[in-house]
Amino acid sequence: MRARRWAIIIGIHVGGGLAAAALLWWLTHLLSPVFRPVHGGALYGAIAGSVVLWAGLMFALHRLPAAVKKRVVIIATFTAGLFYILEFYLPARSVLFFWRAKYHYTNPFSPMIFTVGDAYSVISGFTFFLAAFSLSLVHGKNIAARRQGYYNSIAFFIAFIAMAVFGLLQAYAPAAKVVVRDFLGMRNFTVTARQVHEYLFNDMYVPLNATLFSVLAFYMATAAFRAFRIRSAEAAFMMIAAFICMLGQVPLGMWLTHWLPLSGPLSNLRMEAMANWTLGIVSMAGLRAVGFGILVGSVAMSLRIWLNLERGAFFEQEL
Amino acid sequence: MSLEHANGLHAALTGVIGAIILYAILSARGGKALFIRRIPGLSAIDEAVGRATEMGRPLLFSTGLVGVDIDTLQGLAIAQYVARLAARYDNRLIVPAVDPVVFAIAEQLVREAYAAEGKPDAFRSDDIRFLSGEQFAYAAGVMGLINRERVASTFFFGYFYAESLLLAESGQEVGAIQIAGTPATTQIPFFLAACDYTIIGDEFYAASAYLTREPTLLGSLVGQDIGKALLMLMAVVGTITAAKGMPLHAISEWLARMLNPGG
Repeated sequence: MRARRWAIIIGIHVGGGLAAAALLWWLTHLLSPVFRPVHGGALYGAIAGSVVLWAGLMFALHRLPAAVKKRVVIIATFTAGLFYILEFYLPARSVLFFWRAKYHYTNPFSPMIFTVGDAYSVISGFTFFLAAFSLSLVHGKNIAARRQGYYNSIAFFIAFIAMAVFGLLQAYAPAAKVVVRDFLGMRNFTVTARQVHEYLFNDMYVPLNATLFSVLAFYMATAAFRAFRIRSAEAAFMMIAAFICMLGQVPLGMWLTHWLPLSGPLSNLRMEAMANWTLGIVSMAGLRAVGFGILVGSVAMSLRIWLNLERGAFFEQEL
Repeated sequence: MSLEHANGLHAALTGVIGAIILYAILSARGGKALFIRRIPGLSAIDEAVGRATEMGRPLLFSTGLVGVDIDTLQGLAIAQYVARLAARYDNRLIVPAVDPVVFAIAEQLVREAYAAEGKPDAFRSDDIRFLSGEQFAYAAGVMGLINRERVASTFFFGYFYAESLLLAESGQEVGAIQIAGTPATTQIPFFLAACDYTIIGDEFYAASAYLTREPTLLGSLVGQDIGKALLMLMAVVGTITAAKGMPLHAISEWLARMLNPGG
């Protein structure tokens, strides 16, 4: 009886493995033309075909009942998850994939990963138009209704159009000439599209970004002031730890304990040694513990979404 | 370009933890009663929405600075819970988005939440806004919204970077009640300093279980805790065997090598 049981178990495993390998072989052969680059007329044909296919798919999806739509989403989520799991967890090179022995990656999913990533970029590109439309609608309404601060919305449209136009020009016609009219009547001058884009990016966008980033320093001071008010034993503990860490990083703090020896047991009481110990041992242990929790939590959440086990909010009803 | 693949230990560890979580979920579905401890930050969501309604001021929810990933999806799940509460109390929920895909999902979720509460007409599509894909442009946009709309409550659930303090301090300036939750360990101190409630670490991933009390999700939490215990055990074994002179020193070296194949 026992021998028979083992024979069945081994048979299932070997049979299952062979079936899985055959399925993989069939799938990769079926899909391989999709992941092969095309050029010339075939490329334009592929683009046109993709657009038509995509439009048809979207139309069909919109016509489906809500319950069917959710099922489609569940199947798509499972398939996409399965693809990435197989790609990552199957070894890069293995004798299991003997039919791909001549390639660098024998894992049949690895060559597809960039194309699948590109597909995601294309899909998210469609939503970009939706987002730009929403933004334009909000600001357009502000201008039309002359709401308070509507001139900010005018500034948005000017900035949006200028960056879009010169961003495209610098990519496709960088030498295009732009005449800048001097309204003071001095003289007009001509610059290239690339120069205008560089000016907009380097001399306007980058400094504006840096300005906002620098505001952070002031906010840190006010937040620290609030955080360091001693309202409980924990807050007092945090303040002492922060005080040691701050002093341990600056020359003044190091000077305070410079008279202590550099070696021996007393050297541990030097401000920089206490700061390093607090950051490297106490704080690091806490951070790693939080990191473990986050890691396991993200695995659980991923599993729930992948296997359609998530409930609540947009996964409210079990299908 | 070289691609990363899991080695045997990675695959085994993820497989074991995944199996434990799935087993716990299936056990919980069998009707086993499970306890979940109180998480003050999540309990305060109802209070924050109620307070905003009493003050007659809107709510603001940010899902962080990244596109669609696990953290954003968890943030969006909480956003829909908040949207349902807002709809129930006839309040507005403003959701500024940094990513076009997140914007599209958020709009649909909030619309569905208002419809589910029987108030589809109360949904304002202008309140779900795509601001910018750039970090500080987005931060400036959210700060502007917080100040102009004088929001009464702000919710920051998702993955944040340096903009976390800019957003949370803007909320402080207008006196908003603030609740934040992020798996970004570098941003947790900023939220702790500037927000009324902060959800730390894996509490963030417990949010949907806590809010819905669904057995499936509660079971998943039990699985997570067992998984954490397993990792802690590995850390203890690793620490002991890593001690110099121990006969098992080779085990910790092997573990370290397997977990850091590129290191």
